[in-house]
Amino acid sequence: MIKMKAIILAGGRGQRLGGLTDSRSKVMLPLAGKPMLEWLLYELEKTEVSEVTIVHYYASERILTYFGSGRKFRMKINFVRQKADRGTVGSLIAGLSKINYNDKEQILILNGDNMVDSLSISSLIDLNHNGLIVSEHANPHNYGVVEFKGIKVKGITEKPDENQIKSRMVSTGVWSINKEVIDKIKLDFEDGQTELSTSISKQIKSGLIIKSVRTENWHDVDHPWDLNKLNRYLLKRMEREVSNQAEIHESSTIDGEVFIGQGTIIHPGCVIQGPVYISENCEIGPMAVITGSTSISSNCRIGPFSRIRSSLIMSDVQIDSNCSIHHSIIGPATSLKSNVEIDASSVTKVVRNTNYMIRRLGLVTGEACMLEHGVICAPGTMLGSQVYVSRRTKLDGEYNTGTKI
Amino acid sequence: MCGIFGVTGDKDTTELLIHGLKRMEYRGYDSSGICLNNEELIRKRAVGPLSNLEPLVVDLPDSKCGIAHTRWATHGAPTVENAHPHVSSELDVAVVHNGIIENEVELRNFLKSDDKELEFESETDSELVAHLLSKELKKINSKIKNITEDQILSSWKNVIDKLEGSYALAAVISGREDSILFARKFAPLILSHDGKRGLLASDVSCVVGLSESVFYLEEGDWGIIKDLGVKIFNIDGDTVELKPKKLEWELGDAELGGYPTFMLKEIYEQPRVVRDCLRGRLSRDKIKGVKIPYHPRLLRIVGCGTAYNAGLLARYYIEQLSKIPVILDHAHEFRYGAPSGPKSLVVGISQSGETADTLAAIDAAQERGYPTLGIVNVESSTIARNVDHIIGIRAGPEIGVASTKAFTGQVLGGLLIAMKLGQDSKNFHREDLSYFDRHARMLPTSMERMLNDQNIKTKLWEAQQYFSGKNHAFFLGRNTSYPIALEGALKLKEISYIHAEGYAGGELKHGPLALVEEGTPIVVIASEGSSHKKLLGNAREVSSRGAKVIFITHQEDELADSHADLVIKVPRTHDLLQPLMYNIICQLLSLNIAEERGCNVDRPRNLAKSVTVE
Repeated sequence: MIKMKAIILAGGRGQRLGGLTDSRSKVMLPLAGKPMLEWLLYELEKTEVSEVTIVHYYASERILTYFGSGRKFRMKINFVRQKADRGTVGSLIAGLSKINYNDKEQILILNGDNMVDSLSISSLIDLNHNGLIVSEHANPHNYGVVEFKGIKVKGITEKPDENQIKSRMVSTGVWSINKEVIDKIKLDFEDGQTELSTSISKQIKSGLIIKSVRTENWHDVDHPWDLNKLNRYLLKRMEREVSNQAEIHESSTIDGEVFIGQGTIIHPGCVIQGPVYISENCEIGPMAVITGSTSISSNCRIGPFSRIRSSLIMSDVQIDSNCSIHHSIIGPATSLKSNVEIDASSVTKVVRNTNYMIRRLGLVTGEACMLEHGVICAPGTMLGSQVYVSRRTKLDGEYNTGTKI
Repeated sequence: MCGIFGVTGDKDTTELLIHGLKRMEYRGYDSSGICLNNEELIRKRAVGPLSNLEPLVVDLPDSKCGIAHTRWATHGAPTVENAHPHVSSELDVAVVHNGIIENEVELRNFLKSDDKELEFESETDSELVAHLLSKELKKINSKIKNITEDQILSSWKNVIDKLEGSYALAAVISGREDSILFARKFAPLILSHDGKRGLLASDVSCVVGLSESVFYLEEGDWGIIKDLGVKIFNIDGDTVELKPKKLEWELGDAELGGYPTFMLKEIYEQPRVVRDCLRGRLSRDKIKGVKIPYHPRLLRIVGCGTAYNAGLLARYYIEQLSKIPVILDHAHEFRYGAPSGPKSLVVGISQSGETADTLAAIDAAQERGYPTLGIVNVESSTIARNVDHIIGIRAGPEIGVASTKAFTGQVLGGLLIAMKLGQDSKNFHREDLSYFDRHARMLPTSMERMLNDQNIKTKLWEAQQYFSGKNHAFFLGRNTSYPIALEGALKLKEISYIHAEGYAGGELKHGPLALVEEGTPIVVIASEGSSHKKLLGNAREVSSRGAKVIFITHQEDELADSHADLVIKVPRTHDLLQPLMYNIICQLLSLNIAEERGCNVDRPRNLAKSVTVE
């Protein structure tokens, strides 16, 4: 059996997620009850990978505190902090410093903020050759666009202009490379090349053979609305599990694939229709309705008569009575007082000259926001962290961290 | 203080002993040693950290039984001679000991009177136990083979009956390759046995991962542990049944993971401690799961060190929210004082639940018929078992010698008592609680935001420069920030060895101001309400005498900017919770300063975790 070593690059912040990444990096955002990075580790655990090195940089301590000794995984987990932000190659080199490898071994490299399934990873490992996982993407111009010759990679064009796109296949950033490739990347780094994809691209031009593996199960999180999408994907794979240490009133209905964690209390008359993930120590209802593709992290409180659908509610959130929330992302420790109403519909967002059509989007908040009674949010409203919104305000658009409205 | 560990019935005894010592190193690290119980006793000892012992034990023969010790010196300097295990003259008995034998002089004379030739290898009280046991065994028969187990047990009982003071003891006898004798009195000792392997240890941290359950010995318990089983007797010689309890912690909780130091790890665990400590206890309309055995007209809080500082903050809270007066004492002062007055509720605060003075203070209170309440982290500890009720702070194992996360948990424990008493006495209303609850739920995130705030990190670095080359520093606070000033000064002195004192701002003119020189670093910690303005005045006073003022306050405070050389602003939270935020800043500041000075923050010199001796 092959024992593979993997390096996960998990140093970045995730700038485009706004206030959500104020005190945690993107890889630590909770989806379906677990940080994205943990989901990736579970996928790796199903493959031949036996040792994982996680390279962290931004909000390092959050990663270290959460994973602790890493003993809950069957793989050996190492942690290493990148000394300064020196691109993906800088991260890779930091990771390599923690492992021993010989010139016959392939090393697996992944990004912590992407999800890719174990089957695709196994296919890459089975190549036992330098390789890359590729996937089709609707907005290829934000990625490295890959051209092929058979299954071999002919070339990668980083973020090409719209009119120069020759393929919709993009690099997922999941590589399998050997020492020879790594040594050249290191040399190139000394000359100032800090981007991994560009560095390998150069080697391809001078004859390096990279085989490709296609996947349909790759999820990249770039913008807040991507979180809802990945959350939905992860929830779909979940099975029903209700902790026997949860307190559920007999008059509540719990239907379908629902997870309820220990210490959570479901008061009378609630309706919970899966797929729904409710973490530990939450308090729901009475008479609250939670439906389809919703994740609620630990220590949240959802008040009477509130309705939540297709949303991501992070830890310590308090939602008082009679709120209506859907297709939203509510950041940690945010407090919504009674009768807050969130409208969701299709929205177009423009980020760096790209138009993003989002089928349905409600409210996105950063950390520790406070919305007073009766606030109404237009579709696609986005708040930074610690935004205070006074009674009955109508919100529409984007508001920076610390704003008082 | 001092850790003992024993193994019987395992193939890899040496490896296991070293593993156990590593886990207990925080209890003492002056010297360490092991003794394997083979055909003859094999002893290895070294001064300094465990890494000095490790090379000495690499090629030792396989044994299935052995004992180990890590020492925090009380009797005799940290030398190889004074390191445990101690042996008898004929190398037939080896002993490890945690505690203090108080009748050391009498015992020494007793041994000498019997055998004029007898020479003591060390200056320790512990060595005497080895000689005493050896002597008792010789009385029965000179050959160990001819002595029955019952005779060994009665010899052991004779030895411990002679001892006064405190002890957790483990002893091995040459020729009995499967047995370890043990005894405990006023020092912690636990056992575990899975039918094939027996372990004994000073605390659970070295058994975690090796066993799923442990048995906590009571005061005066003694007996023998072998590969196939355990015999335990109480102080009267009656058999005690082994009733194991499931371990509350998991392997990994006591490991560094990717962190460079335990202190940093534990500082960053505080948001989790807040969540865990308040879980199930705090709701919008009532405080649950906090049992107060007696509704007192007077409370007395006892604790030492950090626990005392947490008690001081608890005193402010209890008096403010319930209007019940509180007397706060250092546990050692309470213990030897003569507390009088009306029947009062005595609250003991201790992280380990084994702090000798706090334990004794609780005993003293119970002797007077006072009801008792414990705020502890280790819920299976002696204090936890002795008091009427406990509030477990749920902080998880604290390994760093300088207490950090336990303080946060202890303060929250005190706050829960304050709110409960406040509700019962109708001084703390439902709407007050509901308002508090909303903010308390946001506190962990506020802490996380603060811990990851780049701007605060930069300010901390600037603040650290003020301490460069300085040997004295002061912390000022008033009202609820006074305990934080004390705790801030305690952390700084503990780990950086800078002389630091915490003062109440109002005391400044009554003496401490005389100490202020050009460049003296002074940390001022904001308080709430009217006392805050007075603190700003204090900042001015020291500033105009050349001090470098670092002011720790919250984001909404605009007054502080013009009163200090450096202002560190943290997120705003509820008034009652704000001091916990400031305290974390002080912890980080001390940590940075200590590391800059090259100090080992997890193992400060002369100190040890869990002060189980007076």
